[in-house]
Amino acid sequence: MKVDRRSFLGLGLGAVAGIAISPVGAKLTDDSSIWTQNWPWTPVPPDGKISYDHSVCSLCPGTCGITVRKIDGRPVKIEGRDTYPVNNGGACLHGIAGLQYLYDPCRVTTPLKKINDRFEPISWKEAIALAAGHLGRIRKNDQAHTLACITDTDQGSVAGLFSHFMTAFGSPNHFVMPTLESWLALTAQTLHGKGYTLGFDLENADFILSFGAGILEGWGSPVACFKANSSRKQRKAKLYQIEHRLSTTAAAADRWIPVTPGTEADLAMAMCGVLLTENLFDSEFAAGFKGGFNRFNAMVQQKYPVEKVAAATGISAADIKKIAIAFARAKMPVAIPGKGRGDGAQSLKEFAAVHTLNCLTGNVNKKGGTFIKPVHDYLAFPDPVLDTAAKDGFGKAKLGASVQEMVTNINQSADPLVTALFVYNANPCYTLNDPSQTRAAFEKIPFVVSFSSFMDETAMASDLILPVSTFLERLEDVPSRAGLANSVVGLTRPVLDPVFDTRSAGDTVIQLAKTLGGDMARSFAWNNYRACLEDVAAGVWEDLSGNGYALLAEGPPTDSVETSFAFLSDNPQTIYPQGDYALTLVPIDNMRLPGTVPAASPFAIKTVSDRVLKGKDVCVEINPDTANGLTDGGFATLTTPTGSARVRVNFNEGIMPGVIGMVKGLGHTFDNKYVAGKGVNIHELISPVIEPGSGLDAACGTTAAISKA
Amino acid sequence: MSELENKTEHGSVDGATEGAAEDPKNDTGLGLGVIFFIVAFLICFLSGWLLFPKLLYSKHEQPFNFDHALHVQETGDCESCHFLRDDGTFSGIPKMASCLDCHTDEPMGETRDEAIFASEYVAKEREVPWYVYAKQPDCVFFSHAAHIEAAGMDCVTCHGHIGESTTSRPYEENRLTGYSRDIWGKNIWGIKKNSWDRMKMDDCAVCHKEETGHQGYCFQCHK
Amino acid sequence: MIQDKKAHKYGMVIDLDKCTGCGSCTVSCMSENNIPFKEDESDKKDSITWMRVYKLTNGKSFPDTQITYLPRPCQHCGGKGDHGHSPCVSVCPATATDYGYDTGIVSQIYTRCFGCRYCMVSCPYHARYFNWWDPIWPEGMEKYLSPNVSPRMRGVVEKCSFCYHRYQLAREKAYYDGTHEIAEDAYQTACTTACPAGAIIFGDLNNPSHKVHQIVKPDPHPDPLNRDVVGKSRNPKVFRLLERLGTNPKVYYMSEREWVRKLGDNYLDGEWEKVKNHYGAASHE
Repeated sequence: MKVDRRSFLGLGLGAVAGIAISPVGAKLTDDSSIWTQNWPWTPVPPDGKISYDHSVCSLCPGTCGITVRKIDGRPVKIEGRDTYPVNNGGACLHGIAGLQYLYDPCRVTTPLKKINDRFEPISWKEAIALAAGHLGRIRKNDQAHTLACITDTDQGSVAGLFSHFMTAFGSPNHFVMPTLESWLALTAQTLHGKGYTLGFDLENADFILSFGAGILEGWGSPVACFKANSSRKQRKAKLYQIEHRLSTTAAAADRWIPVTPGTEADLAMAMCGVLLTENLFDSEFAAGFKGGFNRFNAMVQQKYPVEKVAAATGISAADIKKIAIAFARAKMPVAIPGKGRGDGAQSLKEFAAVHTLNCLTGNVNKKGGTFIKPVHDYLAFPDPVLDTAAKDGFGKAKLGASVQEMVTNINQSADPLVTALFVYNANPCYTLNDPSQTRAAFEKIPFVVSFSSFMDETAMASDLILPVSTFLERLEDVPSRAGLANSVVGLTRPVLDPVFDTRSAGDTVIQLAKTLGGDMARSFAWNNYRACLEDVAAGVWEDLSGNGYALLAEGPPTDSVETSFAFLSDNPQTIYPQGDYALTLVPIDNMRLPGTVPAASPFAIKTVSDRVLKGKDVCVEINPDTANGLTDGGFATLTTPTGSARVRVNFNEGIMPGVIGMVKGLGHTFDNKYVAGKGVNIHELISPVIEPGSGLDAACGTTAAISKA
Repeated sequence: MSELENKTEHGSVDGATEGAAEDPKNDTGLGLGVIFFIVAFLICFLSGWLLFPKLLYSKHEQPFNFDHALHVQETGDCESCHFLRDDGTFSGIPKMASCLDCHTDEPMGETRDEAIFASEYVAKEREVPWYVYAKQPDCVFFSHAAHIEAAGMDCVTCHGHIGESTTSRPYEENRLTGYSRDIWGKNIWGIKKNSWDRMKMDDCAVCHKEETGHQGYCFQCHK
Repeated sequence: MIQDKKAHKYGMVIDLDKCTGCGSCTVSCMSENNIPFKEDESDKKDSITWMRVYKLTNGKSFPDTQITYLPRPCQHCGGKGDHGHSPCVSVCPATATDYGYDTGIVSQIYTRCFGCRYCMVSCPYHARYFNWWDPIWPEGMEKYLSPNVSPRMRGVVEKCSFCYHRYQLAREKAYYDGTHEIAEDAYQTACTTACPAGAIIFGDLNNPSHKVHQIVKPDPHPDPLNRDVVGKSRNPKVFRLLERLGTNPKVYYMSEREWVRKLGDNYLDGEWEKVKNHYGAASHE
């Protein structure tokens, strides 16, 4: 017997037959098909008990109530909170995408110290000691006033703590970023005196005359505005949108009135003139007019005749008159200022002129009108203990009226005007016009401390980062501050423990003061931020901790207010787009792209149209009439007096000829491939122009040229 | 036979050494082939039935023995620990919090398992990482409420008599799919004698067809 | 076939006059349904958005231009004659998508799909998306994923499910409470609850007490002009996309503006004038 090929054949056949009538084949077929459906790298989210937490979103000044769905304590979804007095259910895309910020690739996960242009992680103890050491030396050298501080707002207890710190430290240089709220407060202060701000009862108004206010683009409290717009459609209330571009708001409006960018203030003045000439102003309310009402009247008639303004604005004289009269004759008219989201560079003249229209109609502090609201101070901070250093420093002059002015002054001065700077929840190195100026000023400041959750442009330009927990991980009171009719303060509550080694900025400030010791420590007697909040917000704490919010004021304010025309009577200068180019570049606020802090989430970027962002290129809008030689979708070079950028062209019939629109919120330079490195930061193309009278940057556009690249 | 013939025809061409073995008159190779066939058949057949299941599944011991019978005796039913939550979802394997309704970090009994539980999990505030025999893959949505509340089924129909067990059997995981062996069933052919022997989609569909007249639409059980 | 009288027919009506194109629905959907994201999402052909918001224009030049936004979830077509033969369901070779006669919802089973993309070709609404890549979340971000929806693997098709898992959870609650009835507010999709403008109304088109039924007033009889079309709205402001195809979508759109309604289908010259005043039974009773 020999082993031959037939033997092997037998062996093979035997094996096949054996396997065939064993379960191997059937089982492996089934298993391998299952295997292809279950790649081990596809995550399997763990299941568990569903629970809901109420909190308040503080990503923008809108302060919507949110409900966070959790699975065994793990947050999985954010939705709008029903019956919350600001948004009453519903939420904007940024709030809904809020969980992405928790795990953002750009989060600062631990305190960082800059050594040779690189950040090194340090412990909280070292970080606080480092900051306290620096600040201690400044104070010791009688330079307390050279500490400056930039926060996103001056309201709420965390901003309050920074303010408290600055006072106790001895510096007058606490600056607030320009937001819709700061503009409204400044307008109210200019026309009605300090301590007031403006709210608009859009939910009940029957005629809204919007001077470019993007009520569907993120102006004010976005969700509240969306709801007001929906109810407006049902109530058949009118919306007239005066804007150079067919924005979403303009598209939703009953009438879109294209206007030459930069001439909105003049238009409002001319409309005031129409109301005065036609005797359409409210005589009863006019009794409270002060500060040269007649002078104002005469000035308006002389400087803003309808025909002259018609030529400048591109709106016919007949239309200006008709619109003004329709507005004045409406039962509950409201005129709203604040182009786009109403933040950043705006014009006090424009705000004041638009609000004067409201004052003239007399629909003020009435249902469906404009509310001149007292700024509700529900916080009671104890007086800080002031030592000599504090008294001396605090008495010194402030370095300007705005962050922008401070930046300009630092850059122009040979002396070190600022030796240390705090930045909380703001990104001036990105959001201010011509941010290279801001970055240059930051270079000159020896010690910049960033209180940031993310490694954004400003955090990158700082020397020390004290990372802040996101709104989902921290406790904080968030007052509504965005032109809302009601005054509400909500409580942001931690829905999970901090994911990284971060703290509430309130805790960090208290800790810093305690480490500085002496009278500084005495001004900050609280053990931690929670204790501080419970103490300073004691008046509303029961509502805050119980309901998650406290209603500070509802309905029209009952105060009678005086209206001073002094500011406008002097006919302050209108800031037109600067430069000699033939076209005008204007920023576009897009609901899906936040312009300030924090930057967009990956989800938000994902929703952005490919007519706005294509690959890594921003698309600028231009009317095909103006686009000489350009092709839709093609590349072009956009040039302004400040700089130039490579962009793509997006033909849009909905933008005025002669105008180029570019979206805000792109062109971030930090390290997040989902969000940054896309498009151009429009602020890099616009230089700031300080408006006389407000001290704020009013350059909301610039002249520009565009050519095929 | 054509292949053999072919080879024979070519034999002379291939060379003299092979010639002898290929001689049809001297054909003992076929007999040997049969033996080889039988041997290979038996080896593969037996491996397929006996060795394959052992190789296919990896065994994991539970963190410690769990005495279901004792707990049922103490609590009276399954629902004390495996209950429907107020929103109708099923709690599944109890979390430590449920255990602590009765247990403390002092062992209640004298078994080694009790000691492990108290010292390793209760005292250290760790959840017990139980292996779940009845775990369905992620694509499956199974509503306990629908079966218990609406259809009035008992636990045994699907889970068998696990409530009477005094020890925890090892958890067997399919190396290829990662599924628990209980999904396919203990029998490697997938033959089931009892309703709880297998938990594949077809088993669901058969019962649904019998009970509701329709095997159901995809989304009824998939997510 | 479970096609008893109590069968639901879940559907949606979207008020295009209220929609602001803000994108909340899209993000709420992505967050609810574990939809991933990539570095570049500007190539919209491979950008997975179950709920996609389109921007439409009336095509006129400045200053007569008008725009509107149109959110587009899966239309959950009932197919010709509304018999459940949706375009995608009828072509799937793997039975990875089927028509739920009890809810009217078109399913998509990822583990069953083998990625031939036939359904994507057959869908007239581009509502289906293919996973060209494995989903990858930045480190740690997978912690926010919801257990109610399976993350998909590369090589399969996915689409809007009308948040079927929410229906499942509502049913579990109903079973537990012993009610067996799902209230209108107990089952709402993630886009509906998120919409800050209140533009999306969701509910059971078969239930006269539901708002969606009251707005749409679906005609239960086939359209005499086209027997394939069933459920045409008797509300003159309400229309469906490509209605004349007979796909019978369960997503309806509403607008006061005629040019918007006209964009709902590709009308040849003169066709719109013939159909624009034809609103289901009300006009042929």
